[in-house]
Amino acid sequence: MLTMNNISKVYQTDMVQTHALRDFNLQVEEGEFIAVTGPSGSGKTTFLNIAGMLEPFSEGQYMLDGIDVGKLNDNQRADLRNQKIGFIFQGFNLIPDLNLYENIEVPLRYRGIKAAERKRRIEQCLEQVGLASRAKHLPQQLSGGQQQRVAIARALAGEPRFLLADEPTGNLDSLMARQVMELLEQINRDGATIIMVTHDPELARRAPRNIQVVDGQLADFTLYQGTQNLKAAGV
Amino acid sequence: MLEIKPIFHALCRSKVGAILLLIQIAITTAIVSNAAFIIQDRVSYLSQETGYPEQDIFVFNVMMFGKDVSPSQQYELDEAMLRQIPGVVDAAYSSNTPLSGSGSSSDFSLKPAPEESKSARTSYMFIDEHGINTYGVKLIAGRNYTEDEVIVTDNYDELSKVTVVTKTLLDELFPDGNGLGQTVYFGDIPMKIIGVIDLMKGPWLKDSRPDNVALLPFIKPGTNARFVVRTEPGQRQSVMNRVEEAMLKNYNKRVISRIRGLDDDKESYMAEDTLMMRMLIVLITILVLVTALGIFGLTLFNISKRTKQIGTRRALGARKSAIISYFLVENAMICIVGLVIGVIAAVYLGQLLMQHFSIAQLDISYVLATALAVFVMSLLAVLAPAKRAANISPSIATRTI
Repeated sequence: MLTMNNISKVYQTDMVQTHALRDFNLQVEEGEFIAVTGPSGSGKTTFLNIAGMLEPFSEGQYMLDGIDVGKLNDNQRADLRNQKIGFIFQGFNLIPDLNLYENIEVPLRYRGIKAAERKRRIEQCLEQVGLASRAKHLPQQLSGGQQQRVAIARALAGEPRFLLADEPTGNLDSLMARQVMELLEQINRDGATIIMVTHDPELARRAPRNIQVVDGQLADFTLYQGTQNLKAAGV
Repeated sequence: MLEIKPIFHALCRSKVGAILLLIQIAITTAIVSNAAFIIQDRVSYLSQETGYPEQDIFVFNVMMFGKDVSPSQQYELDEAMLRQIPGVVDAAYSSNTPLSGSGSSSDFSLKPAPEESKSARTSYMFIDEHGINTYGVKLIAGRNYTEDEVIVTDNYDELSKVTVVTKTLLDELFPDGNGLGQTVYFGDIPMKIIGVIDLMKGPWLKDSRPDNVALLPFIKPGTNARFVVRTEPGQRQSVMNRVEEAMLKNYNKRVISRIRGLDDDKESYMAEDTLMMRMLIVLITILVLVTALGIFGLTLFNISKRTKQIGTRRALGARKSAIISYFLVENAMICIVGLVIGVIAAVYLGQLLMQHFSIAQLDISYVLATALAVFVMSLLAVLAPAKRAANISPSIATRTI
């Protein structure tokens, strides 16, 4: 479903070349919930940006749902992002001047979905995240956890194949973080594929599959599986 | 895809910047449309047809201090000499200069004063039979007066018995079109209209009757005199350069002064209007520039304030064109409200100006044209910042700013 083959990303300034990703290889299957961990500056966000087509890569091949992303132009990438990917950001990134309903409506409008269908989906997603009664509220009238749930509703409204979450609980206290994580797990159980970048080992452990990025490369994606095996063997 | 409704809601929620901008747009529209109308009014005033080939005519003054010649004889000799100068078409003694803001006027009536009758305010000029040709005006009916009809005298005991008038004056006094050959009265002095001139402006272009002019064949030579000379096209400057020397050679106990083109006199007379027009042009240019800069600046400010929002929109699937259209639509919405207020204010301001400064009624087409121009200008002002916004990388959405 998502395949990255030898993806490299080089940031070039006048003086320095920085290799954010090097020969990065990853295969993600439908319905997976993957936690991406790694130290600061290891390339997690670069990986997420490339996976979400937010920035181009320097070398390699990235196939998303059978589409070769490297061959797309800017408009095609924007359309593909809109159709296939739902984003959840650390800072929620809700638009402060729009109420919850209008915030969730943003990606649906870009897709050209008709008003009645938009309404149906928005109401359904708000219901799903437990904020149906607050559609007319502005983001600043909500708590951080509620705002992140709105952001999740926005990501879900487009019925994406992928949810890409960048530190989705990074700005939340532990109670709210747990609620958001439970919501993501529920969404995953409902069939969505989720890739979540996180610093939090607790959260990472809750994801069925862990991958670690170190120095721009995939360090050990079997770590979690290995640990599980050891546990199963009673070690 | 136009996001009119969410943009409108967003504007309603943070309206200070938008309100300031729409006030600026309204003020610009109100002032610029009125200023543009006044400018156009001045331009047509300044460039109006006067009936004269102004570029070919010049005027000069003579002040005689020598007492050993008769002014009337000397002036005749001078005129004859002037007409002989190569490049000169004709020359004449003229009591005053048209278009200069200085002259004489009186009511010309259908009955002698003090009898009550129809009358018309008329500026008049004493000039000999060369006057019509020298001023280059067109005689469209009747005839010019003859040399014998020109009265040369030291007093006003006897005045002309004939006159040549402009068509405008003739039509005002005789709307039935039968004025030629009729008698009009200059005070109680009867004068027969023997000729009609097509167009000939008087000394005051701002007068209520600038086109009512009568030429009277009368000369009262004194120590001060004014001559008018028409040259072949392109010859005026060279004749002007030689005229003082030629006049002094003819008789040297006198001073030749103020040798100037007819258009120079007109320009001095119109200097205030020209200045006002230029100031208005500067004013509206500055106003439009300030408004354009305001829109440009506000959009740049909005973009820097909303960098993350724009990146998020891009991440959520907005094409670059959607970002550009977002800012264009947002600006257009502010602009349209500003323009509606501006158009109403312009009409109101126009009425105030009409009441207090006797300016013609504002033509609504100027308001609409200004509104359209301001709208286009505002879209152009917002285009460059909007393109810049569209180039914001969607990856900004994942950065912590």
